[in-house]
Amino acid sequence: MKKNKTSKDKLRLMAIVILSLLLISTGTLFSLATFKKGDIAGGFLGIIIAISILGFALFVFIRGNRDLKEGYPLKDERSKKVIEKASSTAFYVSLYLLLAIGFFSDEVAKFRDVSQATSVAVGGMAILFLTFWMYYNKKGI
Amino acid sequence: MKTRIKEFRARYNLTQEDLAKKVGVRRETIVFLEKGRYNPSLQLAHDVAKALKAKIEELFIF
Repeated sequence: MKKNKTSKDKLRLMAIVILSLLLISTGTLFSLATFKKGDIAGGFLGIIIAISILGFALFVFIRGNRDLKEGYPLKDERSKKVIEKASSTAFYVSLYLLLAIGFFSDEVAKFRDVSQATSVAVGGMAILFLTFWMYYNKKGI
Repeated sequence: MKTRIKEFRARYNLTQEDLAKKVGVRRETIVFLEKGRYNPSLQLAHDVAKALKAKIEELFIF
């Protein structure tokens, strides 16, 4: 039973690595396309996002691999609850973020098109999730 | 919520790592449980109590 759980955890870790690689490739392609269009700031933003994902993926992989070797599960009851709480709070707060983008898109930041505004909103949700995850993981739930 | 996990753990000379492996959770979960900063499910409370050969009501004080 425990061996089965460990192999499931290994598969989960591999899935995280593959997803992260896909995200990094997408970020790199996005940056290259943006650089070609002459948007230097947008290109650098893409590179920063790709590097952040790479850093986070490395952190998750190294920590997960070490935990599996030491015999700890990748996820347990508390860590699942932390993820649930962080994701629900991030979703709730991001509704206000979307409203704010809608209201202030003309005054504060001019978006090139809808896809750019959507990218900012999705990126904001990801950052909010990460922030709430760190908060609840440290403070406890 | 207060817990007596640390006291019972010391009784059996178990480290937080040992208890975590026995129960099948991450070490941080034991740390949070000991500090009373996480309310466990009945299943987890039962597993911890079983690992420490104690009753749930002896370990967790509400």
